[in-house]
Amino acid sequence: MTPAIAALHLFVGQIHLSIDDYWNGLFSFDKSSVNEIIARDFRTPRLLMALIAGACLSVVGLMMQTLFNNPLAGPYVLGINSGSSLFVALSIMTGVPFFASDFGLIINSLFGAFLFGLIILFFSRIVRTQISLLLIGLMLGSFISAFVAFLQSASDAQELKVFTLWALGSLQKVDFDQLAYIVPIALTGIASTFFIVKPLNALVLGEAEAKLLGINIKTTRLIIIILTAILTGLVTAFCGPIAFVGLAVPNLVRILFKTQQHLTLIIASVLIGSIFIVLCDILIQLLEPYFMLPINVLTSIIGAPMVILFILKRLK
Amino acid sequence: MIRTSELTIGYTHQLLTVDNVQLNTSELYFLIGKNGSGKSTFFKTITGSTPCLSGKVLLNKQNVSSIPLATLPTVVSFVGPHFPSVDFLTVEQYVGLARTPYTNQFGRLKDEDHKIIQDSLSIIDIEHLKERFVTELSDGEKQMVAIAKALAQQTDIIILDEPTAFLDYSNKTIVLNILQQISIEMNKCIIISTHDIDMSIELGCSYLVVNKNKKRIQLVNSPVKKEVLLALAF
Repeated sequence: MTPAIAALHLFVGQIHLSIDDYWNGLFSFDKSSVNEIIARDFRTPRLLMALIAGACLSVVGLMMQTLFNNPLAGPYVLGINSGSSLFVALSIMTGVPFFASDFGLIINSLFGAFLFGLIILFFSRIVRTQISLLLIGLMLGSFISAFVAFLQSASDAQELKVFTLWALGSLQKVDFDQLAYIVPIALTGIASTFFIVKPLNALVLGEAEAKLLGINIKTTRLIIIILTAILTGLVTAFCGPIAFVGLAVPNLVRILFKTQQHLTLIIASVLIGSIFIVLCDILIQLLEPYFMLPINVLTSIIGAPMVILFILKRLK
Repeated sequence: MIRTSELTIGYTHQLLTVDNVQLNTSELYFLIGKNGSGKSTFFKTITGSTPCLSGKVLLNKQNVSSIPLATLPTVVSFVGPHFPSVDFLTVEQYVGLARTPYTNQFGRLKDEDHKIIQDSLSIIDIEHLKERFVTELSDGEKQMVAIAKALAQQTDIIILDEPTAFLDYSNKTIVLNILQQISIEMNKCIIISTHDIDMSIELGCSYLVVNKNKKRIQLVNSPVKKEVLLALAF
């Protein structure tokens, strides 16, 4: 199903492209052909970025939900994306050229995600209930928003524009060359999660029981936070903070597959997560003639009500 | 087999001292004491979750503090007082998690593991629950499933923290009888903490008692009288 939807994604949009345009664009690129330029530099990167963003955020959400034993955990609600945002804001608005480069942006985004991953991990050791941790995550998010707003008020018009566009989220900012390192990093990160399938399966029972089954909790926690930082940081650096995907997709996957076997859950999260964002982006492209809908706005419109449904179902 | 030697337990300050005792395989022991008297701390200490303040605990002649974290679950299994309520976790998957210390890096269950899971379920006659989600079980069934998980872990020592707490009369009887049967037929050393003194006393086992005056855990060998236990513990 994923390939079919991915293929569909390539052929929606205001300018109609043929299969030949893609074939030539990718394998015998002709710089004078407008269609081939669109195929190579816009549509293909956009599709790949959509697939990667959906897969990465969903897998991260799954790991965090299992680690914190909390079905409502996710990179966005627990403030991991916000951490990235803060450091990206700093990098855009400090005016230091290194920070504004691609590499600087990724490093900042990763660092912010890792830092806030550690902060949330620290709080998770202290608080006892699931709700408290979510509230702390939300408060961290609000705190950072305020701080970012302050940075915005102190920055000039150009910086403000760059940051605002970034914060709305977009799958269109990557080009063909950037994908050369985005794709390997994302695939390596996702593949690494298969090595912690066993600890994840045991963690379903809670940290105390997992430890009694011989799982090294400290190492597992650290691996999860590092993978979370890499995958969330990477996606956030290029697409902005995409909300709710990491929370909603793993829940959807568990409901669909009715299992706690993480090998299945990871594969399903990758597939359904990427389908989810590609579908969102198809919708965005179809609506493009009328208005521009940022990806973060759309995932929130779909994701937030879904999350409320999950909560109602659990508290019922 | 469990042996304690000059053992004191607690977190930062000393909570209890423990007599030098030897607990044998093929026997069932009950641990009794007031609420908050340190029963759970004792369990955490002998399962290696909490370090001994002084002295030592030997599990099958090995010092518990020197057994690596990854192999400890092949020596002792612990059934906590709270059964996990996890969505979409089947009984078979849950019992299968007991094989965690034996499986490879990826946690893949082999045919042998599946057979052990199957056997553990059939020993206590709950094969029919295999496909059920753990959230759909009754309190009695949950306890049976938890015991099956401990069996699948294939340890000589099984420790259960208040397994009869939430059960009705008939389920308490069933659970205690099954545990005694397992200890005898499968050569296990089983310790159960409980407040069901009347019921447990009918099984004729030995008791570990948290002595309320001396702040120490002592062994009272069978046959025991209820009056003696009550006087020591409460």
